[in-house]
Amino acid sequence: MSRISGQAGATAARGRSLGWFGVGIRLPLTAGAVVVLAVALSGNSYDLRILTFAGVYALLVIGYQFIFGYAGALSLAQGAFFGVGAYVTGILGSQLGWPFLVTFPLSILLPAILAVVIAAPVLKLETHYFALATLGVGQVVLLLAINWESVTGGANGLPGVPGVRLLFWDVPKGLPMLTFVWALVAGGAGLAWQITRGLYGRAFEVMRENTFAAMSVGIDIAKLRFVALVMSALYAGAAGALYVHTIRIISTETLEFPIMVAVLTMAVVGGRARIAGAIVGAIILIHLPEWFRFLDEYYLIAYGLAALFMIIVAPYGLVGALERLRQRVWPEPPPVAPAPLAPPARRRAVSRDEGPLLAVRELNKAFGGIIAADNLEFDIARGDIVGLIGPNGSGKTTLVNLITGIYRADKGKILLGGKPISGLPAHKIARRGIARTFQNINLVDDMSALDNVAVASGQAEGFGFRRALTTLGPDKALKRARGVAMHFLGVLGVADEALKNCRELPYGIKRRVEIARALALGPEILILDEPAAGLNEEEQADLANRLRRLADDGLTLFVIEHNMPFLMPLAKTMICLDYGRLIAAGTPQEIAKHPGVIEAYLGPPDED
Amino acid sequence: MLLLQLLINGVALGAAYALVALGFVLILNATSAVNFAQGDLVMVGGFVSVAAAGLIPVPGIVLLPLVVIFMAVFGLGFSLLAYFPLKSRPTVSVFISTIALGIVFQNGANALFGPEPRVAPPLITGGTLKLGEFIISRQSLSIIVVAAILIAAQHLMFAKTQFGRRLRATAQNRRMAQAVGIPVNWMIAATFAMAAALAGAAGLLLANQHFVSPTEGSDLIIKAYIAVVIGGWGSVPGAVVGAMLIAMFEVILSAYISYPLATGLLYATLLAILFFRPQGLFGEILQKRA
Repeated sequence: MSRISGQAGATAARGRSLGWFGVGIRLPLTAGAVVVLAVALSGNSYDLRILTFAGVYALLVIGYQFIFGYAGALSLAQGAFFGVGAYVTGILGSQLGWPFLVTFPLSILLPAILAVVIAAPVLKLETHYFALATLGVGQVVLLLAINWESVTGGANGLPGVPGVRLLFWDVPKGLPMLTFVWALVAGGAGLAWQITRGLYGRAFEVMRENTFAAMSVGIDIAKLRFVALVMSALYAGAAGALYVHTIRIISTETLEFPIMVAVLTMAVVGGRARIAGAIVGAIILIHLPEWFRFLDEYYLIAYGLAALFMIIVAPYGLVGALERLRQRVWPEPPPVAPAPLAPPARRRAVSRDEGPLLAVRELNKAFGGIIAADNLEFDIARGDIVGLIGPNGSGKTTLVNLITGIYRADKGKILLGGKPISGLPAHKIARRGIARTFQNINLVDDMSALDNVAVASGQAEGFGFRRALTTLGPDKALKRARGVAMHFLGVLGVADEALKNCRELPYGIKRRVEIARALALGPEILILDEPAAGLNEEEQADLANRLRRLADDGLTLFVIEHNMPFLMPLAKTMICLDYGRLIAAGTPQEIAKHPGVIEAYLGPPDED
Repeated sequence: MLLLQLLINGVALGAAYALVALGFVLILNATSAVNFAQGDLVMVGGFVSVAAAGLIPVPGIVLLPLVVIFMAVFGLGFSLLAYFPLKSRPTVSVFISTIALGIVFQNGANALFGPEPRVAPPLITGGTLKLGEFIISRQSLSIIVVAAILIAAQHLMFAKTQFGRRLRATAQNRRMAQAVGIPVNWMIAATFAMAAALAGAAGLLLANQHFVSPTEGSDLIIKAYIAVVIGGWGSVPGAVVGAMLIAMFEVILSAYISYPLATGLLYATLLAILFFRPQGLFGEILQKRA
């Protein structure tokens, strides 16, 4: 994944006119095209048939990359979507004699409808619960196909599915059908690449790798997951239709688990979240058994061992291995950071009237018996620097999570500029103008610092599915977002690290990248959760200066910190929590002398 | 009357499923990876029982220790191929590597034994037991007893022995376990050996009444997966309860309505459980700290 962003960064910087085209997949795609062409020209009819099937699977796996690769959800429904598409064409074609041009769109549409129906209950489930729920959906569809004999032909299936007919031309078996299928693969690959090549693709990456990071920059995770599931179903439906047009019979085999297993294996062996990976994985795994035919009855054993071997030797899939090899023999020029770009004028989502910027009213939150927020009430004035202190476990981070919508309050209200935000999902709160950093840093490790920030600055560009589809040529929104990201990295003094992967960055730099990301949202208020933790004194002083300058420019700051030497000179106002209660509020000097605060930190005074 | 007989058959099947699901949970807890070949290991255990019975014609209960020991060693070899080369990779890699090895096992069994279902000897004797008006299958009763003993033994091992505590420590926090001097890799290898041994026992128990064929593993793994999710990911008692629930649907409900309808209802129940309790019946909601 790192390679995608790294290369894209390089290309954007070089600004060659066609540099944006096919970034990251040119080499494997070319290799794939050569293989297909070679077989197509030299092969016998059996070879052509196998390669046609490989094309069908390639389309299926390209679709699967949306939900499994980009969204990172282990869906086991891809086989079911494939089967539904196959059955639609199979039944309508063999029983009613409907032509391809009618059945094909229906085969794509029906699995998508199924995806929309199951999305609501299934998508909110996590990891293996999601996997099993999708598996359950597939098993129910399979049972239906076996037992609804009058329509599906039951376990025997239905013969007599017609071939592909385009208006007045029956596409013959062999080379023409192969060409047709692979043309659709090329189209499907192009569409998938178009959708994921820009900012939108980066948003998927952030969402997959770190949900907290995604929420904090305003990414609507539920929506992305929904889009991914429906896209995967559309591709699966198309693949299913082509499959029955090729084998000319519809049977329950299309719905059975081995197809799902094959798809998953192809995606991982080829390269996860890679379009070229889907194509290479499909070609290799469909042909592997053929290459081992000489082993007679043992050929599938060899197939299993070969798949195992590829998993072990190529951790990033075959495409990842190819690209690493290429980088060694024929390295690309090192990327150049883009020039910084001034951020667009801050949009004012919040009215500029009098009254506090942020108001917390009667806020309550309990975890089981532990009260983490006990009737909290306080205001944060516009332009203020408010420090929040309190002993460990006093509910500071909980308060931040309540304000930013990660937790939902049991009772009470939070108002931003007079408008209630409590109850809104986290990404909406982020878009309203509350940005934050995390106590345990939440950056995407395998992404450049630049792109981590660019996803946040890209929010101003308003990326989305339609935007991704209609972007022609290089993604200018991504280019601007990266420019603005460079600006904010500069504000925090870490512009030199922009092109490094966050994994390689030292702790103190990561903290500042995270602050740059929060700033890139153009927030009204910035909430910092222990920004000085892990920084040495010099870095702390530098950070304090930079924060003060931001406040001078009108940004409101809410800083949670244990480190008093850092916080006392910085904060204009301070509040102190203990056991979820607000025990003191005032200037830093007042807080330092407050008996309640001293007691909370040092324990009750001695009796004598 | 019928209901009671069905209940005993159902509990017997559920007990065998529980052994499958327990093996699955053991590996899951120790490595947080899904062993998708757990069902195929059961199949291997079934065929090993068939082969052993062909060499030494004794009742299943005598074969059981042999099969369990053989499968434990098999499990060690399995971990060397499927887990250890991939232990620092994302867990989905292990998912795929175990799928690949499952394919190898299936086709290996197919090459050695052929595709037809084979039968292993009963644990003690076949036939039925008459208790007044009840007619009870002896095999079902012995399955329940043997599975109960194995599950209890495993529970005691985890709860009471130093070895069990070390295994639990490894499962809970590998780094911490390593820091206090537990040989983590050996513990994981031992977990694989135990999971395979449980699979072997399940294979022997199932291969009498339900036969064994090379492709049965994928059906079993789906059931184990469902059992573990219904029970709550990683919960040991949950896995047993989930396995029992599946067996009840398969045996009792399908006797009254049709088998497909019962299976359909099972999945509907599963989806309903996930909808209302996304963490499974015995699972806890884990919230990552932001």
